Amino acid sequence: MKYRFIDDLTSDVMFEAYGKSMKDLFENAAEALFSVMCQTDRVKKTVEKEVSVSAKNPSELMFNWLQELIGIVDTDGIFLSGFKITKITGRSLKAVCTGEEADPKKGKTVVKAVTKYGYAFRKTAKGYVVRASLDI
Amino acid sequence: MKEKLERINDFEWLLPKKSRKEMRVDAKIIANKSIVDAIEDAAVEQLTNVACMPGVVVPVVGLPDMHWGYGLPMGAVSAFDDKNGVISSGLCGFDINCGINMIRTSLTAKEIKERAKDLVPLLFQAIPCGVGAKGKLRLSPGQLDDVLVDGVNWAVDNGYATKKDMENTEENGCMKGADPRMVSDLAKKRGVPQLGTLGAGNHFLEIQEVTDVMDKGTAKSWGIEGKGQATIMLHCGSRGLGHQVATDYLKIQEDAVKKYKIWLPDPQLACAPVDSKEGQDFFAAMKCAVNYSFVNRAVMTKWIREVFEKVFRKDWESMGMETVYAIAHNIVKYEEHKVDGKKRMLYVHRKGATRSFPGLPVIIAGTMGTSSYLLKGTETAMEKSFGSSAHGAGRAMSRNAAIRQFRGEKIKQDLAERGIVSQATHPMSLAEEAPLAYKDVESVVDSVHGAGISLKVARMVPLGVIKG
Repeated sequence: MKYRFIDDLTSDVMFEAYGKSMKDLFENAAEALFSVMCQTDRVKKTVEKEVSVSAKNPSELMFNWLQELIGIVDTDGIFLSGFKITKITGRSLKAVCTGEEADPKKGKTVVKAVTKYGYAFRKTAKGYVVRASLDI
Repeated sequence: MKEKLERINDFEWLLPKKSRKEMRVDAKIIANKSIVDAIEDAAVEQLTNVACMPGVVVPVVGLPDMHWGYGLPMGAVSAFDDKNGVISSGLCGFDINCGINMIRTSLTAKEIKERAKDLVPLLFQAIPCGVGAKGKLRLSPGQLDDVLVDGVNWAVDNGYATKKDMENTEENGCMKGADPRMVSDLAKKRGVPQLGTLGAGNHFLEIQEVTDVMDKGTAKSWGIEGKGQATIMLHCGSRGLGHQVATDYLKIQEDAVKKYKIWLPDPQLACAPVDSKEGQDFFAAMKCAVNYSFVNRAVMTKWIREVFEKVFRKDWESMGMETVYAIAHNIVKYEEHKVDGKKRMLYVHRKGATRSFPGLPVIIAGTMGTSSYLLKGTETAMEKSFGSSAHGAGRAMSRNAAIRQFRGEKIKQDLAERGIVSQATHPMSLAEEAPLAYKDVESVVDSVHGAGISLKVARMVPLGVIKG
């Protein structure tokens, strides 16, 4: 399973994403995020966007990655459906994301921000897990 | 925590500071019993968390639309001393100056109903809405800074609003002291393409019919003549610019909590001392987002007027399309209030709460398909809730749960059967905003009226709904 949604809040959305590697985890978390913002199965991969993020540690890196992606919908006017982490350490990542010009008919919900409510990033026997809630 | 609530009267419940060791002041909930019975315990606990913060002034108030939120419940107001208190991005909310503009018309509901099938689609086309919608304005960075500093003055100077619109806007449409240097480049980049867009979620444009007038004198003075009159409500906020300002300063204030060694029961209540750089920089940036949101709604108001002109073939002035009032319900204000009989300047944080000052309009929007209310502020609100009242119905169900339970097509059909023409970017946006996903607005309004913090003036129901 790449990710699942947890239904415990009346005002926000919370998901858990999984990955055997950091690369997998970050790609799956991005997919989870965009599945809230748009109908990712209908978003074509005609536009490419390079993304770089840095942080003090892997947990903050994930938080900053998700926050950066939220901003891209507004700054670039695109929806993303493909995420390829090309380089990742515990403190930085580079990614190539693919999508298309945002079409509100393919949109779903505005995500205002990632929040720290219940935020957890951890290594497990099977890989990595992140739990994040989104203010929508 | 709810078991510690003590009934004061039918509409007020005290959570005394002895309920919890760290509480510095009492908390209070203003609501009728059926609302109190349904409030989540976690939301009540959140009120007590805020009552533990430095410089907090009695009481921390939960309003009848309160529900669990980020740090502080949505539907709550908290005030802090202007010397030893704190100012917090989280106690304001991510959508800074999410608020409502109410516009009156001299048209009748009958005239609207006859043309609703033309009016609603044209409004849907004219007002960019939905996730990813592109705004129609092309601002330079310099122009954006003018918007952030000048607020609705910019809209007046550029032909989007009138002086009367500005006078009927909270803060006259411009909070002084906004400093664009305190707004990040990323926030500005997000804001530039979105000025004049509605957004999605619970943002809406609604054409309404006045069904009841409870206070004829006040209603008339505000341009509400009587039953059957058509009115308009526009609910929207500061879009990506405001969201980014809130996010940026949450991070800055998380560091400030460590720097100033502030103990917090919940890390999500990140804040900074009121007289610190982190506190005042946030205040200056927040004012930018407030002004942006007022302009956002002013710009869309112009386009609404233009669509009405096209459909009804009269100019908007002759249709009396004046702004009744424009309010904010996620905001921090520096206001004078009486505490224990003494006047004090306080930083009042309203999160999903509307200003309710004596004699001024209060707007409580219902959920899609239900009533909305125009009320008036009171002295009682100044005494009980730092001049604040509820802002809407408050969610009872998460968006995911609503999307699973309700079908957008069925909701559209249900609305149509009731004579309401609706248009949304896709059926899911109707499902997530289904009326049953929210609490009962009538109960919320009865509570604020019963508590005396705002008094009913008029009730409206929807005729047409546009959603992103």
